Order: sequence, then C-alpha cells, then structure tokens
Amino acid sequence: MALTLDIVTPERRVFSVTVDEVRAPGVAGGFGIRLNHEPFMTALEPGRLTYVEGGREHHYAVGGGFLQVADNRVIVLADTAEAAADIDVERAKRAFDDAQDRLLRLTEQDGHYGEESARVRRAAARLSVAGR
Amino acid sequence: MPSLRDIRNRIGSVKSTRQITKAMKMVSAAKLRRAQDAILKTRPYAQLLEQTLARVAARAAADEVVAHPLLAPRAQHTAEVVVITSDRGLAGGFNSNIARFTQRFLVENGDRFERIQLATVGRKGRDFFRARKVEVRKDFTGVNAALTYEKAEDLAREYTERYLSGEVDAVFLAYNEFKSAISQKPVVFQLLPIETAPGADASGAAIDFKYEPSREGLLRDLLPRHIAMQVWRALLESAASEHGARMSAMESATKNAEEMIASLTLQYNRARQAYVTKELMEIVSGAEALK
Repeated sequence: MALTLDIVTPERRVFSVTVDEVRAPGVAGGFGIRLNHEPFMTALEPGRLTYVEGGREHHYAVGGGFLQVADNRVIVLADTAEAAADIDVERAKRAFDDAQDRLLRLTEQDGHYGEESARVRRAAARLSVAGR
Repeated sequence: MPSLRDIRNRIGSVKSTRQITKAMKMVSAAKLRRAQDAILKTRPYAQLLEQTLARVAARAAADEVVAHPLLAPRAQHTAEVVVITSDRGLAGGFNSNIARFTQRFLVENGDRFERIQLATVGRKGRDFFRARKVEVRKDFTGVNAALTYEKAEDLAREYTERYLSGEVDAVFLAYNEFKSAISQKPVVFQLLPIETAPGADASGAAIDFKYEPSREGLLRDLLPRHIAMQVWRALLESAASEHGARMSAMESATKNAEEMIASLTLQYNRARQAYVTKELMEIVSGAEALK
C-alpha cells in the first residue's frame, strides 16, 4: 500500500504521484501525512506544500484550498499550485511588492481588505517557495 | 445586363470574401479545440470539489448543526440575471439566441419577483439590451477578452456579497450550453441560492473525517469556491459555444460564397460567349455587305 497525492486546481490537474510523505500548510498550522494517516480534512493556507518521493523533496507554492486524506489517498484542491522551479523569482517579488502596496493603502474596515490580504499572503508564499 | 468587367469584379470580391470566411472558420476550429480542452481540464477539480462539499454537508446535515446562509432558502423579492454573450459577432445566432432567451425569461419571471434586474457579460449582450432600452445594471466588460478563473472568482464574489447583504435574493446565469460544434442550447441556471442541496453523493459520509477547522468553517470556505466554479463553467461553456457557432456560421458562409462563385462564373462564361457571337455576326455581316 502506498500513499498517493493528487493536486488539482480549477484550471487543470497538476499531477498525481505516489509519495512517501506530504507536508502542507493547514489553517491550524503545518502538518505532515504519512502512510495510514487517519481520515482528515482541512482548509489550507497559502504556503509551501512539500512532498517526499524516494528521499527527494519537491516544493510547491499553493494559494490556499483544501486537503483531504482517506484510505491513503491525499487529495489537494488548490486555488493555485506552482512548482518551485516554475516560479519566476523576479516576478514573484514584484507581485508581492504590488500586493503589499495595495494592502497598505487599505484599512481593516475596507470591503476588499480580506481579499487583498489573502493576495499578499499568496504572493508571500510564492516568493518564499521560489527563493529556495 | 452587367458587363463582363462587372461580373469579373464581383467574382473577385466574392472570392476574397470566401478566403476570409475560410480563415475565420479555421481560426474558430482551433479556438474551439482549446475551449473544449479547458472544459475538460476543469472536470477533476469540479468533481472533487462537489464530492468534498457533499461529504462535509452530508455529515453536517446528519448532525443537524450546519446552517449556512448560502444554503438556507429565503423569501425571494429581488433577482438578477447575468447573461453571457460574446464580444464579437459573426457567430450565427449565438448572441441573438441567448439574448432573446433572456428577454423571454425576464418577462416570464417578472411576476415571481418584485424586481428583476439584468447584468451582462460580453459586448453583444450589452448592446442588444441597450438598443431595446432594457436597463443593464452592470456590464462586466473584459471578462471574455482573456478568460481566467480569477475573473470567474471576482464575479462570484460580487454576487455572493450582494446575496449575503440581502441586495439580491436570487441570481441566475443565462448562457449557451455547449452541446457540440454545431449545436448550442440557451439555458438558465440558478447560481444563488445554491439549489441542489449538496449531499446527494453520500459515498464519503461513512468515513469519519477529522475536520480542521470545523465542518462549518470548511463549508464557509467551500461554498464560495463552489459558486466560482459554477460561474467558471458557464463562462467556458459559453466560450466553447461561441467558437462552435462561429465555426459553423463561417462554414456555411464559405459554402454560400462557393455557390455564388459557381453561378457568377457560369453567367460570365455565357456573357462572354454572347459577346464573341455578336462580334462574329458583325464581322460576317460586314463581309457580306462588301460583296
């Protein structure tokens, strides 16, 4: 029995692989999943999703979403998912700066505050994953 | 009787029209393939999202704790219809079909609501209703130009907020459903309140998940995505329908041009023959007269 990981986004199926371990950013903190994990469903924060396959680590930037595990099958419904190698560091940096500028001009009472702060967190997650 | 030169010019012009329609047909075929591909690519996410939603909602329903305002039915006073059309024409009946369908929907459902408003996606829909003096509350321009999931999210978010604030009590999407390259069907879909109570698929209900944060929390995060996905699907269906409709419109335009060229060529040849005969007659009769 092996652990499988599926990542899908609204725009495409990212991949489906057999893995040894998955580490993901849950809303209640980061967590890891190995074989025979109990059935678990959580919302994800924007951040780094890592999976280990044959001793090698693969990093992805996910922009929030959901993760569920049952019967050794991990399903990630991500809003966005990008492999660390595919992220353009320069662009990620610019996107982060732009998002931060916009957020700084808002107050918490603004209707778009939550949306913009989510954008900043997504941009920050991409930047941190790309930097590695 | 048009002169030989006139006919020749017309043949030339019809030929260049044919070239254009043929090129447009080919472009539409390529775009259609891409649009169909995009629809297929969203399927895994859509299915898994529905399944997840069903699991969370089913468990929640069994315990009768969860109540989310997006799922709760309420008195419907105001409604809004979002009609999805294209920015460009030359797509056969694509735009006028959906626009007329929407118009009928507005009339037929006028009594059900105290007020029913209209919003448009795409230039053609906006122009259609403006020309008929129907008020368009909001025009979502630029959504079609470059179709991204983010735009679907924005649209969904706007309506979710307006629904939750009580500004509208029902939101409908009217769009062309993609049947095949040659057939599109105008449909109307209720976006809000969420109609089919998720929970039909209870396959996962037996699994005792541990939830983080809570089921209510998850549901709160899942539902906006469910709505965004519905909008996204409608936009993609409409895009595929548009390209399909344009492809078949251009195909028949090309065929018509070919028929026209054939009949004009026949006419041209006849006229030329008549001219040659006339010339010959003149020469012969001229020669006769000299004898």
